[in-house]
Amino acid sequence: MTALLAVGAVTLGTLGLGAWGVRFVRTTSDLLVASRSVTAWWNAAAISGEYLSAASFLGIAGLEMQVGVSALWQALGFTAGYLALLLFVAAPLRRFGSYTIPDFAEARLRSPALRMLAAGVVLLIGGFYLVPQLKGAGLALNVVSDAPYWVGVVIVGAIVAVNVAIGGMRGITYVQAFQFWVKVFAISVPACLLVIHFGGLPGRAALFGRQLPRAPARGLVVKLTGSQRVEFPEAGSFSVGGRTVHVRAGAHVTLPAGHVSLPPGGIVPVADGITAERGDQWSRPVGGSGDSSPLFVYSLLIATFLGTMGLPHILVRFYTNPDGHAARHTTVRVLMLLGLFYAFPSVYGALGRTLVPQLYVTGQTDDVVLRLPQAAWPGTVGTLLGALTAAGAFAAFLSTSSGLLVSMAGTISHDVWPRLRKDRPTNVSLRRARFRVAAVVAVILPVLLALVARSVDISILVGWAFAIAASTFCPMFLLGIWWTGLSARGAAAGMVCGMVLATAAIFTGLALGEPTGGAGAALLAQPAVISVPVAFLVMVIVSLRDPVRIDASAEMLALHAPEGLGLRVAEEELAVPQTA
Amino acid sequence: MSPGERDRRAGERRAGLRSPRQELAESTEHGEVYLRLLRRAQLQLSLLALVAFGAVFGVLPVALDLLPELRHSTVIGVPVAIWIVILPLSPLFIAIGWLYARRADALDAAFRELVEK
Repeated sequence: MTALLAVGAVTLGTLGLGAWGVRFVRTTSDLLVASRSVTAWWNAAAISGEYLSAASFLGIAGLEMQVGVSALWQALGFTAGYLALLLFVAAPLRRFGSYTIPDFAEARLRSPALRMLAAGVVLLIGGFYLVPQLKGAGLALNVVSDAPYWVGVVIVGAIVAVNVAIGGMRGITYVQAFQFWVKVFAISVPACLLVIHFGGLPGRAALFGRQLPRAPARGLVVKLTGSQRVEFPEAGSFSVGGRTVHVRAGAHVTLPAGHVSLPPGGIVPVADGITAERGDQWSRPVGGSGDSSPLFVYSLLIATFLGTMGLPHILVRFYTNPDGHAARHTTVRVLMLLGLFYAFPSVYGALGRTLVPQLYVTGQTDDVVLRLPQAAWPGTVGTLLGALTAAGAFAAFLSTSSGLLVSMAGTISHDVWPRLRKDRPTNVSLRRARFRVAAVVAVILPVLLALVARSVDISILVGWAFAIAASTFCPMFLLGIWWTGLSARGAAAGMVCGMVLATAAIFTGLALGEPTGGAGAALLAQPAVISVPVAFLVMVIVSLRDPVRIDASAEMLALHAPEGLGLRVAEEELAVPQTA
Repeated sequence: MSPGERDRRAGERRAGLRSPRQELAESTEHGEVYLRLLRRAQLQLSLLALVAFGAVFGVLPVALDLLPELRHSTVIGVPVAIWIVILPLSPLFIAIGWLYARRADALDAAFRELVEK
């Protein structure tokens, strides 16, 4: 109940602030005006606030509990992505003055057709990224109120759509900055108290030794909402309704719905799709096969390192920086703030392995951040801290999914709709009405996908969004900003190749089902290590062979000349106004 | 550009009458050379920072894979390999980012000086 109240407070607070803030932020030019008074620290907190999603708040700890310490590479990659953004993109893109990725594609390469392609990719990435946010919402609501999974997904999808449609969250730097600190507080306070409470990490043998996770000394009762197929990695037993069943090592059994109890110290069975690991396997950062094989780790690092710059909701945040110099220094501060946040999720994954091993049975390791406080302190303290992590999780997916939906709805109403209807309305209220319809339309497909993707881990889903972004927009940005020879045809060919390769691998992996291990499975699960170089190569080769050459010197001047020299076209002239 | 215009510019250039600012604003070949030099310098700096980062971050997974003893020796009960993944990398990103931003600003400042002199 307490947790439900906390979640309600965060949601209402976000909606309220959004509705209140929208009176101040009518158009993107207001955003530009407002930018003069926003410092680099505020901007950095706002960027981090919009960036830290369900994947960061719930997914990393969940994946760490499930596959082991190798999950922490993902957190490192999420941070390192901002280093790539800083080194190659932040200042030039701010100077260029495009608000969205389709704007950049059209303005840099002078091709309206490329704008449409970029718009399509924005929708694809946004959709892929929205699914895990909604999945997180469904899980969180299920944990705090016992509502079925689909209720949370649908309710939060509706809240986010309404929030975006009434104009909430758009360009409101202070709200996003506030959300960042809510998330840091919500993840760090319980983590520190947990470590202090246990005086370190309990259950070392199952963490770093040669033990498998076992039920605690008082036994373990697992509540199953449906029947669940599990594997016993060693011989063990379970009892249902007073009847005890002994199981051989390596045997698969189907546990019935209801309360299943495991004896004190008994082996914890793992749900299908999870591989049981001994402590020394679990604590290995790299090695073996599957999610900790070196190939998978490298592919994931490439996807996150290069994919961050291609996320549609991040780019627009950089325009609250007054100039390229400020964009650089804001990004350095983002690195610091993300480094602070990502110090904490790893604590939950490690403690969860010992304290809530029932999540291995249910397969819902993504719940670990939400369930851990109550498992550690069964009384009021646990309830309060559980409410805190639930509120933080809600803040995480409300801010990220609102940002994503704003980009997607903007792309639909601004880029796709005029193209289909062959008109470009100047009427502000008509544009706003289209934006609202687009916000509602754009959320429907991700909600449906989230309903069927319950068993796929949040972190895996997010990894795909990064893989597609790294295989499409990253090469377009890097080559478009630093190479005069990129042609529109080359950019289009490279983006299509990268997108097709990455999505094909992901869906093939999904269709084949259970990962079988080996290099092939690692590449299907995270294709970036192949698809990114291919996208770069295709872009370069097609551009070099393209007979149509454009003179990019004006664009290069806009991208690279420092401000304040009177050389640059005024920002207001380059910027394409966006609907609000 | 007519040949006469070009000759006039060349004459002014020899007499030291044309500033880099004019060259850039009129986007002449000389202006483009100034800008290309800035772009090259910035790109070299970014690539240098990338190499510094990649040397550590790129080698680390392989190093951890090939050196199993890092997993067996522990500090405060936690294997060294885990400490290596958790602790030093974020400060490294921040340090590289901070140094890069300083140098990139310095390159911009040098360009500004050239144009404004």
